[in-house]
Amino acid sequence: MKKSQKTIESILAGYPRHPQNLIGLLQDVQAEYNYISPEHLALICDHVGAPLTQAWSVATFYKSFSLEPRGEHEIKVCLGTTCHLKGGNRLVETCERDLGVARGQTTEDLRFTLDTVNCLGSCALAPVVMVDEDYLGGANIRSLKKRLSKLE
Amino acid sequence: MVNLTIDGRAVQTKKGQTILEACDDLGIFVPRLCYHPALKPIGACRICVVEVKPGPPRPLPACATYVAEGQEVVTASPKLDVIRLELMKLVLINHALECPVCDKGGECELQDLTHAIGVPEVDLAAVKLPPNQDYESQLVERHPDRCVTCGRCIHICRDRVGAMAINFTLRGYFTELTSGAVPLDCEFCGSCIDICPVGALINKQFKYRSRAWEVTKTEMACPFCGGGCTYELHVKDGKVMRVFNGGDKVVLCGRGRFGWPVVEAPDRLKTPLIRQDGQLQEATWDEALDLVAAKFRQITEAAGLGAIYGVGSPRATNEANYLFQKFFRQGLGTNNLDNPGRYTYIRALQGLAAVFGPAQVSGVELDPSRPPAFTSPYPVTDDAKGKGFPFVLGKIDDLPKADVVLVVGADVTPELPPLGWALLEARERDAFKLIVANNRRTKFDRYADLSMRCQPGTERLLVAGIIKALLAAEVTPAIRASGVEEFKESLKKLTLKDVAKKTGVEEAAIKAAADLLAQALAPAIIFGAELLAQDKGQENALALADLFLLVGKPGAPGSALYPVAEKNNTRGVCEVGVLPDFGPGFAPVDKPGAALPEVLALLEKGDAAAPQSLYLLGGDLLRFAPNHKQVEKALKKVPFIVVQDAFLTETAKLAHVVLPVAVHAEQEGTFISSDGTLGYLPRALSANGVKPDCLIIHEIASRMGYSIPTGGPANIFKDLAKAMPLWAGLAPKGSEPRADFGKDLSGQLVPFDLDVSLPGRRPLTLLVGKSLQHSGSFTTHHPCGALTVTPRAELGMNPDDAQGLGLTEGDAAKVTSSQGEISVPITLNPDLPPGLVFLPEHFADPAANALTLNSNLVRVTISKG
Repeated sequence: MKKSQKTIESILAGYPRHPQNLIGLLQDVQAEYNYISPEHLALICDHVGAPLTQAWSVATFYKSFSLEPRGEHEIKVCLGTTCHLKGGNRLVETCERDLGVARGQTTEDLRFTLDTVNCLGSCALAPVVMVDEDYLGGANIRSLKKRLSKLE
Repeated sequence: MVNLTIDGRAVQTKKGQTILEACDDLGIFVPRLCYHPALKPIGACRICVVEVKPGPPRPLPACATYVAEGQEVVTASPKLDVIRLELMKLVLINHALECPVCDKGGECELQDLTHAIGVPEVDLAAVKLPPNQDYESQLVERHPDRCVTCGRCIHICRDRVGAMAINFTLRGYFTELTSGAVPLDCEFCGSCIDICPVGALINKQFKYRSRAWEVTKTEMACPFCGGGCTYELHVKDGKVMRVFNGGDKVVLCGRGRFGWPVVEAPDRLKTPLIRQDGQLQEATWDEALDLVAAKFRQITEAAGLGAIYGVGSPRATNEANYLFQKFFRQGLGTNNLDNPGRYTYIRALQGLAAVFGPAQVSGVELDPSRPPAFTSPYPVTDDAKGKGFPFVLGKIDDLPKADVVLVVGADVTPELPPLGWALLEARERDAFKLIVANNRRTKFDRYADLSMRCQPGTERLLVAGIIKALLAAEVTPAIRASGVEEFKESLKKLTLKDVAKKTGVEEAAIKAAADLLAQALAPAIIFGAELLAQDKGQENALALADLFLLVGKPGAPGSALYPVAEKNNTRGVCEVGVLPDFGPGFAPVDKPGAALPEVLALLEKGDAAAPQSLYLLGGDLLRFAPNHKQVEKALKKVPFIVVQDAFLTETAKLAHVVLPVAVHAEQEGTFISSDGTLGYLPRALSANGVKPDCLIIHEIASRMGYSIPTGGPANIFKDLAKAMPLWAGLAPKGSEPRADFGKDLSGQLVPFDLDVSLPGRRPLTLLVGKSLQHSGSFTTHHPCGALTVTPRAELGMNPDDAQGLGLTEGDAAKVTSSQGEISVPITLNPDLPPGLVFLPEHFADPAANALTLNSNLVRVTISKG
């Protein structure tokens, strides 16, 4: 976890009070806290002068926003056609077993969020797993476990 | 006109119409689901697709495609049938087939469309979505599993109501209607219910009570404010089932849509009451009416005809109020009568009359043929000319044509909901500018181009500042204006710096407002009962009338003054002459009687000239007149009080005879709305033993030997309308639009009082005002729907003020003024600036007017407990 977290006030202060800044603020809060809490959503709405329902609608429309706490590290296992054939499913199952969460969920200690994606556009590297911003190509159970243990 | 062919037929349509609108006009049926005439095209369902040549090689939505010269449109073809069938199947995949228990069954657009398109079966399947019903919200029940995601409710909530309380969540197949978090927190107007094509939004009052086809529908005027809306009352077996507003407009407020159960309130009076041995006892109608007539005769014989004082009612119909003034003028022969509008609306009329002169109508002649019922016998001809103050009052339907609107001292939506909707409509034009000047943040500050926050009670000085800035810029009035020099002289000592200091509004903002108004082609001014209820309310109206004389362009539609007449017939009761100084149609009378506040003061003093008896047609003086203590003292000194009301109000409790009256749809009659349109109220319910106001007045009059017209409201209206050339061309709303009078306006700039000080030294200022869900005290009786949302009076307070006093949400606060003390729970409201607290006026307990002296503003001290 980052050492110093920006306060919500300092994030809000960076944007003028106009509804057009709704998405920018949602992105900043998402990046800083890994999710958008109901309290933060309300503060953002008050700041930009948008109704809560609109913020709710925007935040649920885009996949990159989460209204529930997300883990510090995001693991995205590709299940596109090629990765599927190359055993992507086994990788997800391994992660589920090891982390003790189902796909789409976050571990209780808020360290990992496990997700599946439909294609990462790197079929030549199949099966692919994305850990945070890094691609892990030609992944197998051993290399994935090794990569995850490095994070801990 | 545009020439095109639709389905091979050569047709002519209006320019700027969409293909769907053109088809509707021509009677060509095009299936649709998301289109609604009350909204701008949404284009979500795609069921109205048509083939258009020239155009892209794919079908286009008829709702969002405009007609063009030479176009060829095909609305039905095998290709289109396939598309529509497929789309319907997609809609139906996840639609809960609960038609037998769904409230919408029988009036469901999806049912009708499935039938019209002939969907044989849905051979598609997909994941069933969770139903996620919302049973918790008040008044509205949501069934997202029945939703067809047409978006109508979201659009009406955002564009027409301005609440933005609902929206879609997620996307694609998973899209779901949501309020963000259960339960709903909105204006509770229920407009989303009536615009929903299916049963996804349900009226809780109507749920499971009736099927759509079992009800008798009656179109009528709404009695819950001066807005003059009309709606359908649905009645089954003599009971109201719901209020519904289909048609083209749909929007109603919460009072109108959910307020009707007040008719069934168990605390309504059912029999007359007579005071015996100090107690009000039940009596028969004959006993009560005989007693009233006998007592009235006795009092007039002993103390003269002027010894009975009448107070008309802004709740009662025009016909009842007209008979009432006739009873006094022709029967008793006095002008001793008034109406409670004296504390608000009459002040506006007086202020406007001082500037624009008295009402004068010329070139209007009686039509010898018989007009239809409830229609004025005077047609408006080309010669018809109107002069004076009634002709600077605007029509709500014209307001969207104004290009600059100044709102002063009015939280528009609670004051008069339709005025708020008209403002939202005006906003759709790019050139529109809104200036809001209030003492607190209101809903319309969000939409304002210029939002000024002034100190409570300094609105008039702010207007003076704007006028000063206009005069400095040498604005030439569009209306003939006299008295300019004297007027300038009266403002000579005023400086903008001074105004800025006292009002708390920056000098630049005042100048900007003046600029906007000076450049406006059609400026309009809205001011509320809140501004008029100040002790110098008349001066406030005068200041705004002066401002309008300087900048107004009465020739342009929408450019007018819009004072709020708060109740359904506040304007009507004045126009039909329940005034001490004017008869019907504002015709001056010879010997004016005393105004209501003077009478109350005389009574309190025990003056010999004070009336011996009061005849009150509704009008709960103890609740609405300021200075509760004085009014109570005055009323207790009256030897004989007759009250006609539906409820045993605080005032009725002091009466000697209480006569229960019919309300709402239990009687026939008409109202004049705040903008001067005629609303017709037909009788749709049985009166169950109580009598309409008209009948009661008639029976008292005939017992006293006076002959006043009878034969039901239609006959009374005929007699009334004959006396009212001012009403020329008037007909019930919804019939032919009333032709406009030629206006011959001129005015005189009248100096007004610049002193805006508020007496007293207490730290906080209390504002007694309107609540969104209530109208008068009528809506405060169970089981009125408005009470579900706003069940009690709460003192609104700025969170910082509350923190300073050690109070939190829901704590009881002791509010003390020089006049009295009340205890009331507080609610935190960041819209209120520090130093201002707000209390709604509607509730009997705590009585807001126990604190006031002669204004709706009073200085108070607040402490815990």
